[in-house]
This record gives sequence, structure tokens and C-alpha cells, in this order.
Amino acid sequence: MSPARAVLVKIAGGLSILALWEMVARGFAAAYVARPSGILRVLPQTLGSEAVLRGTAITLWGVTQGLIIAVILGTAVGLLMGSLKLVERLLGLYVNGLYAMPMIAILPLLTIWFGYTSKTRLATVVFASFFPIAMNVADGARSVPAEYLEVARSCRARPHHLWFGVTLPSSLPYLLAGVRLAVGRALVGAVVAEFFVSVDGLGFYVLFQSRTFHHNQAFVAVLLLGAFALAIDALIAWLTGRYLRWHRPGEDRR
Amino acid sequence: MLRSDARWVRWATYALSALGGAVLWELGGRGASPAIFSPFSASMERLVEMLRTGELGAGLAGSLALFFAGLGLALVTALPFGLLLARAPLVRAAVSDAILLLYAMPMVALIPFILSLMGVDFGAKVIVVFLFCFFPILYNTVEGARSIKPELIEVARAFRSSEWAIWRDIMVPGAFPYAMTGVRQAIGRGLVGMVAAEFFLSASGIGQLIMTSARNFDTAGLFATVLIIALLGSALMALGRALEDRFTLWRGGGR
Repeated sequence: MSPARAVLVKIAGGLSILALWEMVARGFAAAYVARPSGILRVLPQTLGSEAVLRGTAITLWGVTQGLIIAVILGTAVGLLMGSLKLVERLLGLYVNGLYAMPMIAILPLLTIWFGYTSKTRLATVVFASFFPIAMNVADGARSVPAEYLEVARSCRARPHHLWFGVTLPSSLPYLLAGVRLAVGRALVGAVVAEFFVSVDGLGFYVLFQSRTFHHNQAFVAVLLLGAFALAIDALIAWLTGRYLRWHRPGEDRR
Repeated sequence: MLRSDARWVRWATYALSALGGAVLWELGGRGASPAIFSPFSASMERLVEMLRTGELGAGLAGSLALFFAGLGLALVTALPFGLLLARAPLVRAAVSDAILLLYAMPMVALIPFILSLMGVDFGAKVIVVFLFCFFPILYNTVEGARSIKPELIEVARAFRSSEWAIWRDIMVPGAFPYAMTGVRQAIGRGLVGMVAAEFFLSASGIGQLIMTSARNFDTAGLFATVLIIALLGSALMALGRALEDRFTLWRGGGR
């Protein structure tokens, strides 16, 4: 398929999905239900509205803060786990178990600890994104080629040289793969926390607008969330391809 | 000695790890107010009590019914749909971006819509779990089908293979290992969907146990239930990994 034709096909596909949605909504659903024409009508006004701008800023800032904390902690724990067998065996049980646990199950506990405040959202984001990062970094640290470490040791490298000079750079692609996973989970965590504790943000905006039967406006916020997820995914894929060419795809734990 | 891979050393460190966790949990619980943290011993007592009254069993049964209904519905729809897309390259090219968008979108954000469109009954909750599970399976099945070498189909065609034979011998075996990766992801996401549905639509199952114990400041019950959820998650994830590994071997080395 020529590139021009591929683009045409994609546009046609997108338009037919939207047309189908519009027809179903018109034919079978109540007037307040979101539909493409309605979303398009409210789009400029909603995107420019103060509530959406503020909600977006608050949610993204919360997610970013949480991710920074999770990257620092997760890298430290992951490096320890990947390079020291004892640490791996002592912590592996907990990291694996908590990774597999649906993170929203601890939301009620977090509200007891942090109250109905934005701290609960931050804690949820950290909890949601820490484990994929730690697990991926541990995978990365484990798979450092043994020869690299041997050469470094025979050049009398100190432990911190091994860590920051060999293990960490060599684990970077895994770290990015972990962050990629973590971003999706962090967004889910932030939205769920906003639903649960009713703090201001994009998730709360969706909840509020859909409760007051403004489904079109609410859907604009949902689309924004999807756009962020895709944009960050694309950014990380680009970073990996641009700066970390030695990454072998398919080794990330998605 | 600690670097040794001998079996008993491994199990001894695991046991040490479990024991250490329990001791830390106990000490942390004794030090803190019972309103915010509960020691290991109290949580275990509460766990046994919840098992004996049948609360926990009933909650687990309700949650698992919801989870498997949603996952099953996603399986029987996403797998055939993904394979169909594989044989229709034009349609696949047309909808693949939409699938990617929906795969990446945080599905929890759709819960308020489902709540107001479909209500709070079991069916609505199944739809929530279904939505969480559907797109990982579909996305990975389509990816798998795309990875099938066109030459295989060309050769089959050249030997006058029937459409049925192409499906049986090339499409399904080729796409299946990838679909299993999707199933593993769907298990993880479906669990989140399950708890989210039980929190936000109507309280039931494990989600209800968590909510009520949190509301009553029954931290022992809360910790006990969260522990059970972690175990359930680990067991289901292990199932997903086993499925995936089983069929990755079939897919052959590398990706």
C-alpha cells in the first residue's frame, strides 16, 4: 500500500467508526449521551474552559511528581535487587506480590492514612508506578553482560563505579520500558484516586460532568487522558530509539 | 553461602523474607494506632474469623464470577475479531490506530459513563471488566496476526490450500502466542476493572469487604482483605505467565 493510500484508508476507517457511533447514539441513546457531533460542538469551549485547564494541570502535575518519586525509588530498589541475589530473594516476594495486586484495592487504606486530600492521589500514583519500574530495572541489572563487570573489576573499579558506570547505563532501556508501563498505571491510579476521594483534577472533571449529564464535555476530558497516554508512550519510544539503540525490543514486561 | 543457588538456600531465604515481613508488619502494627495500622497477628485473627463466617468465601466467589464473566466475554469477542482483522488487511489498516488509542486509554475514565448508561447491576459490572480486558487481547492478537509472514499464506495458496486450512494451519497457530500475551495483560487489567466496578458501581465481593472494613476503621479486616487480593492477583498473574510461556515456546526463540 502506498503511503498516501494508507493515510486515506486510516482516515476512512476513523470516519466510519465515528459515523457508526453517531448513528447508534442518535438511534438508541438518550440525548445527553456523548456522540461525535456533540463532542465536536463543545470541544473548543471545553478545551478552553478554566475547569479543564486547571484539572489537566493538577492531574498531570500529580502524575509527574509521583513518577519522579517512583523512578528514584524504583531504580534504587531495582538496582539492589538485580545486582545482589540476597536482596532479590528477600524483596522479590513482596515486589512481585504487590505488582500483581490491583493497585486500587489499597485506595481505602490510603484514604485512612492520607485523608481525602491530593496526597492520596500522589500515594496511589507512586504505588502504581513503583513496582513496574523496580521489576524492570532489576531485570536490566540482572542482564548486564558479565564480561562488562569482569573487565571493570579487573581495572580495579570501585563498587560505585560498577553501579553508576556499568549497571545503571546498561539498565537504562529497561528503566524506560518500566517507565512506559508505569505511566499507564499512574494515569489510571490518578483518575481512580480522584473518583474515590473527590479531589480536583481531570478524573474528577469526568465524574462531575457525567453526573450532571454533560457527557460530551466529560468525553473531551477522557480523550485528553488518552492523548496524554499516547503522547508519553510515543516520547519514550522515541527516546529509546534515539539514545538507547542497544535496546533489544520485546524484553520489556508489558 | 548466600550467593549459592542450592535449593535449600533459596527456600531458606524465601522463608526468611516471609518471616521478616511478618515481624516488621507486627512491630509496625504494635507501634501505630489501631485506627491506621493493624499488626500481623490481629490481621490473621480477623482473616480466620472472616473465613469462618463465610464473608471472605462469599466475597471471593462474587468477585471471581465477575472477573471471569468479563474476561470470558472479552476472550470470545476479541480473539475472533482480531483474527478476522488479520485476514482483512484493508480493514485492519483502517482501524489499527483506533485500536491503539483505545488500548492506551485509561479505561477507568469510562466508568462514570457506564454507571449512568447501564446502572449498577451485575451486567454493568461485567461490561466494566470486559472493557478493561478487551483491548489488550485485541491489540496483541492483531499484532500477532501481522507478524505472520505473508509468504506462508502465499505458499499455502500456491498449493491450493482452502481458506479453512489457512486459518487452521497458519493464522490461528501464528497469532495465538501473541494473543496469550494479550490475555496475560488482560488478566492484570481485568483485576483492576473488577475492583473498580465493585467500588464505583455497586459494592459487592472483595471490593465491598475492603470498603466496609475501611469505613468501620476495621484495619485488621482491611489488611486481611488486601492480603487476600494480593494473593489472588499473584495467582492469576502466575496463571497468565504460565499460559504465555507455554505458547511462547511454541512461537519459537526470540520475538
